[in-house]
Amino acid sequence: MPMQVLVVEDDDRIRAVLRLALEDEGYQVAEAADTPSALEQVRSAMPDLVMVDLMLGEIDGYTCIREVRRMSDIPIVIVSARSDTHDIVAGLEAGADDYVTKPFQVKEITARLRALRRRLRTTAEAAEPDVILDSDPSRRLVLSTARGAVMLDGNDVPLTLTEYRLLAELAQAPGRVLSRSALLASVWEHGYYGDERIVDVHIRRLRTKIERDPGRPQLVVTMRGMGYRLDPQ
Amino acid sequence: MPTLRALSLRHRIVMAFAAVALLVSTVFATSTYLLARGYLLGQRERVVQHQTFADAAFVQRRLESAGADVSAVLTAAGTPAGHTIILKWRGQWYASALDQGRDAVPAGLRQQLAEGDAAAQRFRSDDGPSLVVGVPLPSVQAEFYEIAPLTELDGILRLLSGILIGGALVATAAGAALGAWASRSVVTPLNRVAVTAASIAGGELDTRLPATDDPELATIVGSFNSMVDTLQQRINRDARLAADVSHELRSPLTTLVGSVDLLNARRDELPERAQRALDLVTADLQRFRRLLDDLLELARSDAGLDRRPDATIDLAELLRQVLSEIGREPTLLSGADDALVLADKPRLSRLFRNLFENAETHGAGLTAIEISRTGNDVLVLVDDSGAGIPPHERERVFERFATGATKRGSSSGTGLGLALVAETAAVHGGSVWCTASPSGGARFVVRLPEIES
Repeated sequence: MPMQVLVVEDDDRIRAVLRLALEDEGYQVAEAADTPSALEQVRSAMPDLVMVDLMLGEIDGYTCIREVRRMSDIPIVIVSARSDTHDIVAGLEAGADDYVTKPFQVKEITARLRALRRRLRTTAEAAEPDVILDSDPSRRLVLSTARGAVMLDGNDVPLTLTEYRLLAELAQAPGRVLSRSALLASVWEHGYYGDERIVDVHIRRLRTKIERDPGRPQLVVTMRGMGYRLDPQ
Repeated sequence: MPTLRALSLRHRIVMAFAAVALLVSTVFATSTYLLARGYLLGQRERVVQHQTFADAAFVQRRLESAGADVSAVLTAAGTPAGHTIILKWRGQWYASALDQGRDAVPAGLRQQLAEGDAAAQRFRSDDGPSLVVGVPLPSVQAEFYEIAPLTELDGILRLLSGILIGGALVATAAGAALGAWASRSVVTPLNRVAVTAASIAGGELDTRLPATDDPELATIVGSFNSMVDTLQQRINRDARLAADVSHELRSPLTTLVGSVDLLNARRDELPERAQRALDLVTADLQRFRRLLDDLLELARSDAGLDRRPDATIDLAELLRQVLSEIGREPTLLSGADDALVLADKPRLSRLFRNLFENAETHGAGLTAIEISRTGNDVLVLVDDSGAGIPPHERERVFERFATGATKRGSSSGTGLGLALVAETAAVHGGSVWCTASPSGGARFVVRLPEIES
């Protein structure tokens, strides 16, 4: 079954060219011109991926991302004409997984989508023994690669796919420091010049979900100037 | 007074205060001295005159009695210690002290007495300053002189003048100190303005002068802060404009790039002439895109919106990466392999990409890249095998849209490539310049501050 991509973009010419390019790559494309209709389609059709422009008329892309995120953990890619730091970071913090800036090459977009799709598949296939992240009996935290989920006291923690992949990557080498660019390459498949802020934003979001005290993280530790390290408790 | 003007404001204030203090204290000291001296001398003179008249009356009385022994008379006069009496009687000179005589009395005074007037005169003898008072005694045809020493008074006056000069010097020093304090209180706010202005110029646009209670300073602080507010608004407006232009231009460009990509993917289905047209569109679209990117990058760095370089980068790794991207072998790189710099990775690699492409297109090909160290900096030497750049062009190539004989500036075809290289190097705390390479081509040198590993 072909993957379904929802393109949320207010410029119909860009929407049209994205549809042509994505259909050439074998995706099934749905379009939305504004936030309400995008949310409606996410609710009814449940696409596999969402691409969102940040400038979207009345209800902007950040709101759209937040609302989609509330309903689902599907991958969200920002497509933005703004490459300013705060726009990108705000979009990622709203819940997006990745971004591309306009004008993009079609190759670029399809490569990102392929990477996200590969992540969907690998998470389902890679089955290794469970990793105990926190052995405190009052808040037992377990990463189960077989189920593709993280459980806190037996209940699933609502992680997005990217957050899950990031945690799984760190959990493959507990106690070892992984650099931002290494994480960017393995989780996002970005090249050498990828934006390392993506990693920082996702680590921050991951911490709010799994740390005992997100303000003083002990599970996912920042090594200044080097990267991140997972310290099972 | 050019030399005075060359002095700093601070020194001038100190000197002005010291000069005024010196002038005022000198006037006071001088007038005090003159008044005190006049008063003391007058008093002394009156005392000596009284004594002289009393002694003269005594001597006259004794001389009037017949057969008087002059020496005995003078001894009997009982003058105070130190005083000397000199008497001219019947053409003969007598003195109460052995070593004194007629010559001890100044000639001018003798003249006055010869005319029948009593007189007094200060003079300086071997024994020091003295006062002589002369009284004619016509009834016995005698002239009576009494010489009184002024040494003690002179000592007092000396002491007084010493005290006054010392006081004047102390007052001058105090004036200078006051000037230093006053100048500091003037210069300190000025320094604060200078420091604030420097940090604003350094990109910290939110810096303001702290509020003050001083009404005069408050005016300066107020107008300075409002000037910075206006500037900041302007910069923000420019930055917004850049962002808006970026968005407006990028949307149609996105459609164009996407559509041309699609056409290129189906290139084989097009007739041959359409393929040639498509190639032209593709090439110029690429150029247009780079021009827009370069322009926006420059606009952003002009507006001070750049992200500060904050990532620790292995320079050799980055250079090898850029080399492989432009399709050249990483073995061109030699030299230090462990240099770390603080950088914004995408922009620093763009800097080197621009330089390498410049060497490829305008320098007949990249020949060598070397990393070397000098002091706390690392240098990246980029050599090509072209004809080199003549010395008078070596600065101009870094100007925007520079179109010299060498056309180096248009490395990316935009005329902005090397200008952007210079801007980016500056943002990273370094610089770039151009010389000749030993093999005859051009050598571009990028200097970046190295960080400790």
